[in-house]
Amino acid sequence: MAESDDLAQVITGCKRGDDECFSRLVDEYAGRCYGYFCRLTGDRSVSDDLLSELFVKLVEKIGSYKGGRFESWLFKVASNIFHDWLRDKQRRRRLLELQKDKIESETTGTKRSDSEKVDNLQRQLGKLDADTRELIMLRFYSQVSFKEMAEMRSEPIGTTLSKLHRGLKKLRELME
Amino acid sequence: MNGRNDENLKELFEKFLNSEQAERAADDIQKAEQILSDNPAPLPDDILLADIKTEIAGALVRSKINVFRRRVYRTAAVAAAVIILAVISVKVFEKGGDEPQRVITASMIPAAIWESGDFTEDDAEIAMLAAEIEQIESEMLALRLGEDGGNGDIAVTELEMELIETNSDFWKG
Repeated sequence: MAESDDLAQVITGCKRGDDECFSRLVDEYAGRCYGYFCRLTGDRSVSDDLLSELFVKLVEKIGSYKGGRFESWLFKVASNIFHDWLRDKQRRRRLLELQKDKIESETTGTKRSDSEKVDNLQRQLGKLDADTRELIMLRFYSQVSFKEMAEMRSEPIGTTLSKLHRGLKKLRELME
Repeated sequence: MNGRNDENLKELFEKFLNSEQAERAADDIQKAEQILSDNPAPLPDDILLADIKTEIAGALVRSKINVFRRRVYRTAAVAAAVIILAVISVKVFEKGGDEPQRVITASMIPAAIWESGDFTEDDAEIAMLAAEIEQIESEMLALRLGEDGGNGDIAVTELEMELIETNSDFWKG
Protein backbone atom coordinates (compact mmCIF):
# COMPACT_ATOMS: atom_id res chain seq x y z
CA MET A 1 0.00 0.00 0.00
CA ALA A 2 2.85 2.32 -0.79
CA GLU A 3 0.81 4.39 -3.21
CA SER A 4 -0.85 7.26 -1.40
CA ASP A 5 -3.88 7.09 -3.74
CA ASP A 6 -4.36 3.46 -2.80
CA LEU A 7 -4.09 4.29 0.90
CA ALA A 8 -6.55 7.15 0.46
CA GLN A 9 -9.04 4.75 -1.14
CA VAL A 10 -8.59 2.28 1.70
CA ILE A 11 -9.14 5.00 4.30
CA THR A 12 -12.23 6.22 2.45
CA GLY A 13 -13.52 2.63 2.50
CA CYS A 14 -12.79 2.41 6.22
CA LYS A 15 -14.75 5.61 6.83
CA ARG A 16 -17.69 4.00 4.98
CA GLY A 17 -17.43 1.02 7.32
CA ASP A 18 -16.02 -1.46 4.81
CA ASP A 19 -14.43 -4.30 6.81
CA GLU A 20 -12.34 -5.38 3.81
CA CYS A 21 -10.59 -2.00 3.89
CA PHE A 22 -9.95 -2.38 7.60
CA SER A 23 -8.44 -5.80 6.92
CA ARG A 24 -6.07 -4.18 4.46
CA LEU A 25 -5.04 -1.62 7.08
CA VAL A 26 -4.38 -4.46 9.53
CA ASP A 27 -2.27 -6.31 6.98
CA GLU A 28 -0.29 -3.18 6.19
CA TYR A 29 0.33 -1.74 9.64
CA ALA A 30 -0.06 -4.54 12.19
CA GLY A 31 3.63 -5.55 11.98
CA ARG A 32 4.98 -2.08 12.64
CA CYS A 33 2.47 -1.29 15.37
CA TYR A 34 3.13 -4.64 17.02
CA GLY A 35 6.88 -3.99 16.95
CA TYR A 36 6.28 -0.57 18.51
CA PHE A 37 4.20 -2.07 21.33
CA CYS A 38 6.56 -5.01 21.84
CA ARG A 39 9.65 -2.85 22.15
CA LEU A 40 7.92 -0.48 24.54
CA THR A 41 6.21 -3.03 26.78
CA GLY A 42 8.66 -5.91 26.39
CA ASP A 43 5.70 -8.25 26.63
CA ARG A 44 4.09 -10.07 23.71
CA SER A 45 0.89 -10.81 25.53
CA VAL A 46 0.38 -7.15 26.40
CA SER A 47 1.32 -6.21 22.83
CA ASP A 48 -1.35 -8.58 21.53
CA ASP A 49 -3.95 -6.76 23.62
CA LEU A 50 -2.72 -3.31 22.69
CA LEU A 51 -2.66 -4.16 19.00
CA SER A 52 -6.25 -5.42 19.15
CA GLU A 53 -7.28 -2.33 21.07
CA LEU A 54 -5.59 -0.11 18.51
CA PHE A 55 -7.40 -1.54 15.51
CA VAL A 56 -10.77 -1.75 17.23
CA LYS A 57 -10.29 1.88 18.27
CA LEU A 58 -9.57 2.76 14.65
CA VAL A 59 -13.14 1.71 13.77
CA GLU A 60 -14.54 4.49 15.96
CA LYS A 61 -11.72 6.99 15.38
CA ILE A 62 -11.18 6.74 11.63
CA GLY A 63 -13.77 9.45 11.05
CA SER A 64 -11.56 11.92 12.91
CA TYR A 65 -8.66 11.38 10.49
CA LYS A 66 -8.77 14.54 8.38
CA GLY A 67 -5.81 14.01 6.09
CA GLY A 68 -2.08 14.48 6.52
CA ARG A 69 0.33 11.61 6.89
CA PHE A 70 -1.64 8.55 7.97
CA GLU A 71 1.30 7.02 9.87
CA SER A 72 1.56 10.14 12.06
CA TRP A 73 -2.10 9.88 12.96
CA LEU A 74 -2.01 6.10 13.46
CA PHE A 75 1.04 6.18 15.73
CA LYS A 76 -0.42 9.07 17.69
CA VAL A 77 -3.41 6.81 18.47
CA ALA A 78 -1.00 3.95 19.23
CA SER A 79 1.01 6.21 21.52
CA ASN A 80 -2.14 7.23 23.42
CA ILE A 81 -3.08 3.58 23.86
CA PHE A 82 0.41 2.79 25.14
CA HIS A 83 0.25 5.68 27.63
CA ASP A 84 -3.17 4.55 28.86
CA TRP A 85 -1.74 1.09 29.43
CA LEU A 86 1.28 2.57 31.21
CA ARG A 87 -0.91 4.59 33.55
CA ASP A 88 -3.02 1.54 34.25
CA LYS A 89 0.10 -0.52 34.91
CA GLN A 90 1.43 2.06 37.34
CA ARG A 91 -1.88 2.10 39.16
CA ARG A 92 -1.87 -1.68 39.37
CA ARG A 93 1.73 -1.64 40.56
CA ARG A 94 0.75 0.66 43.40
CA LEU A 95 -2.04 -1.73 44.30
CA LEU A 96 0.38 -4.65 44.10
CA GLU A 97 2.79 -2.94 46.43
CA LEU A 98 0.05 -2.82 49.01
CA GLN A 99 -0.31 -6.57 48.78
CA LYS A 100 3.33 -7.34 48.15
CA ASP A 101 3.70 -10.32 50.45
CA LYS A 102 0.63 -11.97 49.11
CA ILE A 103 1.65 -11.97 45.46
CA GLU A 104 5.46 -11.89 45.63
CA SER A 105 5.91 -15.39 44.28
CA GLU A 106 3.56 -14.69 41.39
CA THR A 107 5.37 -11.54 40.19
CA THR A 108 8.80 -13.19 40.48
CA GLY A 109 7.55 -15.97 38.26
CA THR A 110 6.32 -13.47 35.68
CA LYS A 111 9.56 -11.58 35.66
CA ARG A 112 11.51 -14.73 35.05
CA SER A 113 9.39 -15.86 32.15
CA ASP A 114 9.54 -12.38 30.57
CA SER A 115 13.30 -12.16 30.88
CA GLU A 116 13.63 -15.47 29.12
CA LYS A 117 11.84 -14.10 26.10
CA VAL A 118 13.51 -10.71 25.63
CA ASP A 119 16.43 -10.24 23.28
CA ASN A 120 19.53 -8.16 23.87
CA LEU A 121 18.06 -5.07 22.21
CA GLN A 122 15.04 -5.25 24.49
CA ARG A 123 17.28 -5.44 27.54
CA GLN A 124 19.35 -2.45 26.42
CA LEU A 125 16.24 -0.47 25.55
CA GLY A 126 15.10 -1.07 29.11
CA LYS A 127 18.12 0.88 30.31
CA LEU A 128 16.99 4.03 28.53
CA ASP A 129 14.51 6.37 30.09
CA ALA A 130 10.88 5.84 29.06
CA ASP A 131 10.57 9.04 27.02
CA THR A 132 13.72 8.39 24.98
CA ARG A 133 12.73 4.78 24.44
CA GLU A 134 9.35 5.86 23.14
CA LEU A 135 10.90 8.49 20.91
CA ILE A 136 13.24 5.96 19.33
CA MET A 137 10.43 3.47 18.75
CA LEU A 138 8.14 6.12 17.35
CA ARG A 139 10.82 7.22 14.92
CA PHE A 140 11.70 3.67 13.87
CA TYR A 141 8.23 2.14 13.52
CA SER A 142 6.13 5.07 12.39
CA GLN A 143 8.77 6.11 9.82
CA VAL A 144 7.71 9.71 10.07
CA SER A 145 10.11 12.60 9.64
CA PHE A 146 11.61 14.59 12.52
CA LYS A 147 9.36 17.50 11.65
CA GLU A 148 6.27 15.31 11.95
CA MET A 149 7.56 13.74 15.16
CA ALA A 150 8.10 17.15 16.66
CA GLU A 151 4.53 18.08 15.70
CA MET A 152 3.18 14.85 17.18
CA ARG A 153 4.98 15.51 20.45
CA SER A 154 4.22 19.23 20.43
CA GLU A 155 7.85 20.20 20.93
CA PRO A 156 10.44 22.12 18.87
CA ILE A 157 12.21 20.08 16.20
CA GLY A 158 15.60 20.88 17.80
CA THR A 159 14.45 19.21 21.04
CA THR A 160 13.27 16.09 19.21
CA LEU A 161 16.51 15.87 17.22
CA SER A 162 18.67 16.32 20.28
CA LYS A 163 16.76 13.77 22.43
CA LEU A 164 16.75 11.18 19.69
CA HIS A 165 20.40 11.66 18.84
CA ARG A 166 21.42 11.24 22.48
CA GLY A 167 19.16 8.25 22.93
CA LEU A 168 20.30 6.42 19.83
CA LYS A 169 23.94 7.16 20.60
CA LYS A 170 23.50 5.68 24.06
CA LEU A 171 21.69 2.65 22.67
CA ARG A 172 24.48 2.10 20.20
CA GLU A 173 27.04 2.21 23.00
CA LEU A 174 25.00 -0.22 25.07
CA MET A 175 24.70 -2.63 22.19
CA GLU A 176 28.43 -2.65 21.42
CA MET B 1 4.36 15.73 4.03
CA ASN B 2 7.50 13.70 3.42
CA GLY B 3 8.43 10.70 5.50
CA ARG B 4 11.78 10.06 7.07
CA ASN B 5 13.13 8.45 3.90
CA ASP B 6 12.89 11.77 2.12
CA GLU B 7 14.59 13.89 4.74
CA ASN B 8 18.20 14.87 4.70
CA LEU B 9 19.46 14.32 8.25
CA LYS B 10 22.71 16.19 7.74
CA GLU B 11 20.88 19.25 6.44
CA LEU B 12 18.52 19.07 9.38
CA PHE B 13 21.32 18.89 11.94
CA GLU B 14 23.19 21.72 10.20
CA LYS B 15 20.45 24.07 11.40
CA PHE B 16 21.67 23.50 14.96
CA LEU B 17 25.28 22.22 14.63
CA ASN B 18 28.27 22.97 12.48
CA SER B 19 28.82 20.89 9.35
CA GLU B 20 31.23 18.41 10.91
CA GLN B 21 29.04 17.83 14.01
CA ALA B 22 25.96 17.55 11.84
CA GLU B 23 27.56 14.87 9.70
CA ARG B 24 28.57 12.93 12.81
CA ALA B 25 25.11 13.22 14.37
CA ALA B 26 23.43 12.03 11.17
CA ASP B 27 25.88 9.12 11.04
CA ASP B 28 25.12 8.23 14.70
CA ILE B 29 21.42 8.09 13.96
CA GLN B 30 21.80 5.99 10.82
CA LYS B 31 24.07 3.48 12.56
CA ALA B 32 21.80 3.20 15.61
CA GLU B 33 18.78 2.73 13.42
CA GLN B 34 20.64 0.00 11.58
CA ILE B 35 20.92 -1.81 14.94
CA LEU B 36 17.15 -1.62 15.26
CA SER B 37 16.74 -3.02 11.74
CA ASP B 38 19.17 -5.85 12.53
CA ASN B 39 17.17 -6.78 15.65
CA PRO B 40 13.61 -6.93 14.44
CA ALA B 41 10.79 -7.08 16.94
CA PRO B 42 8.58 -10.17 16.86
CA LEU B 43 5.70 -10.12 14.40
CA PRO B 44 2.09 -10.65 15.40
CA ASP B 45 0.96 -14.19 14.70
CA ASP B 46 -1.70 -14.99 12.12
CA ILE B 47 -4.22 -16.07 14.75
CA LEU B 48 -3.95 -12.68 16.44
CA LEU B 49 -4.46 -10.91 13.11
CA ALA B 50 -7.47 -13.08 12.31
CA ASP B 51 -8.90 -12.32 15.78
CA ILE B 52 -8.37 -8.61 15.25
CA LYS B 53 -10.18 -8.74 11.90
CA THR B 54 -13.07 -10.58 13.54
CA GLU B 55 -13.17 -8.00 16.32
CA ILE B 56 -13.19 -5.21 13.75
CA ALA B 57 -16.11 -6.85 11.92
CA GLY B 58 -18.00 -7.05 15.24
CA ALA B 59 -17.17 -3.45 16.08
CA LEU B 60 -18.40 -2.36 12.64
CA VAL B 61 -21.70 -4.16 13.15
CA ARG B 62 -22.09 -2.56 16.60
CA SER B 63 -21.19 0.80 15.16
CA LYS B 64 -23.82 0.45 12.38
CA ILE B 65 -26.44 -0.61 14.92
CA ASN B 66 -25.54 2.41 17.05
CA VAL B 67 -25.83 4.71 14.03
CA PHE B 68 -29.24 3.19 13.25
CA ARG B 69 -30.33 3.57 16.89
CA ARG B 70 -29.17 7.17 16.97
CA ARG B 71 -31.20 7.87 13.82
CA VAL B 72 -34.27 6.18 15.30
CA TYR B 73 -33.91 8.13 18.55
CA ARG B 74 -33.42 11.38 16.67
CA THR B 75 -36.45 10.71 14.46
CA ALA B 76 -38.52 9.76 17.51
CA ALA B 77 -37.42 12.92 19.31
CA VAL B 78 -38.32 15.07 16.30
CA ALA B 79 -41.68 13.30 15.93
CA ALA B 80 -42.40 13.78 19.64
CA ALA B 81 -41.51 17.46 19.39
CA VAL B 82 -43.80 17.88 16.37
CA ILE B 83 -46.66 16.11 18.16
CA ILE B 84 -46.19 18.21 21.31
CA LEU B 85 -46.11 21.39 19.23
CA ALA B 86 -49.23 20.31 17.35
CA VAL B 87 -51.09 19.54 20.60
CA ILE B 88 -50.04 22.87 22.10
CA SER B 89 -51.09 24.73 18.92
CA VAL B 90 -54.48 23.01 18.88
CA LYS B 91 -55.03 23.89 22.54
CA VAL B 92 -54.05 27.49 21.96
CA PHE B 93 -56.45 27.75 18.99
CA GLU B 94 -59.23 26.10 20.95
CA LYS B 95 -58.78 28.60 23.77
CA GLY B 96 -59.05 31.36 21.20
CA GLY B 97 -62.40 29.87 19.99
CA ASP B 98 -63.82 29.70 23.51
CA GLU B 99 -63.37 33.39 24.08
CA PRO B 100 -66.86 35.05 24.17
CA GLN B 101 -67.39 37.24 21.19
CA ARG B 102 -68.34 40.80 21.84
CA VAL B 103 -71.89 41.29 20.66
CA ILE B 104 -72.65 44.72 19.36
CA THR B 105 -76.30 45.48 19.38
CA ALA B 106 -78.17 48.60 18.40
CA SER B 107 -81.36 49.64 19.94
CA MET B 108 -84.35 49.86 17.63
CA ILE B 109 -85.79 52.64 19.75
CA PRO B 110 -84.48 56.15 19.03
CA ALA B 111 -82.21 57.58 21.68
CA ALA B 112 -84.51 60.59 22.23
CA ILE B 113 -87.37 58.32 23.28
CA TRP B 114 -85.09 55.97 25.19
CA GLU B 115 -83.57 58.77 27.21
CA SER B 116 -86.77 60.71 27.61
CA GLY B 117 -88.51 60.76 30.99
CA ASP B 118 -91.89 61.89 29.57
CA PHE B 119 -93.78 58.62 29.20
CA THR B 120 -97.13 60.19 28.24
CA GLU B 121 -95.71 62.10 25.27
CA ASP B 122 -93.62 59.12 24.17
CA ASP B 123 -96.67 56.83 24.31
CA ALA B 124 -98.74 59.29 22.25
CA GLU B 125 -96.04 59.43 19.57
CA ILE B 126 -95.81 55.66 19.49
CA ALA B 127 -99.61 55.43 19.26
CA MET B 128 -99.60 57.91 16.38
CA LEU B 129 -96.86 56.00 14.60
CA ALA B 130 -98.69 52.74 15.06
CA ALA B 131 -101.91 54.32 13.65
CA GLU B 132 -100.05 55.69 10.62
CA ILE B 133 -98.37 52.36 9.98
CA GLU B 134 -101.74 50.63 10.20
CA GLN B 135 -103.20 53.11 7.76
CA ILE B 136 -100.34 52.64 5.32
CA GLU B 137 -100.69 48.88 5.62
CA SER B 138 -104.39 49.06 4.78
CA GLU B 139 -103.64 51.36 1.80
CA MET B 140 -100.95 48.95 0.58
CA LEU B 141 -103.38 46.11 0.88
CA ALA B 142 -106.02 48.08 -1.07
CA LEU B 143 -103.48 48.85 -3.80
CA ARG B 144 -102.53 45.21 -4.09
CA LEU B 145 -106.16 44.29 -4.41
CA GLY B 146 -106.66 47.06 -7.11
CA GLU B 147 -109.19 49.10 -5.11
CA ASP B 148 -107.69 52.55 -5.79
CA GLY B 149 -109.37 53.42 -9.08
CA GLY B 150 -106.62 52.88 -11.68
CA ASN B 151 -103.62 55.19 -10.94
CA GLY B 152 -101.86 52.50 -8.89
CA ASP B 153 -98.24 53.54 -9.70
CA ILE B 154 -98.63 57.14 -8.49
CA ALA B 155 -100.48 56.03 -5.44
CA VAL B 156 -97.75 53.52 -4.56
CA THR B 157 -95.04 56.16 -4.98
CA GLU B 158 -96.97 58.59 -2.81
CA LEU B 159 -97.46 55.93 -0.25
CA GLU B 160 -93.80 55.03 -0.20
CA MET B 161 -92.91 58.70 0.18
CA GLU B 162 -95.32 58.97 3.05
CA LEU B 163 -93.87 55.90 4.67
CA ILE B 164 -90.30 57.18 4.41
CA GLU B 165 -91.35 60.55 5.80
CA THR B 166 -93.19 58.99 8.70
CA ASN B 167 -90.31 56.72 9.44
CA SER B 168 -87.67 59.43 9.44
CA ASP B 169 -89.85 61.74 11.55
CA PHE B 170 -90.31 59.03 14.07
CA TRP B 171 -86.63 58.06 14.31
CA LYS B 172 -85.64 61.67 14.61
CA GLY B 173 -87.78 61.72 17.76
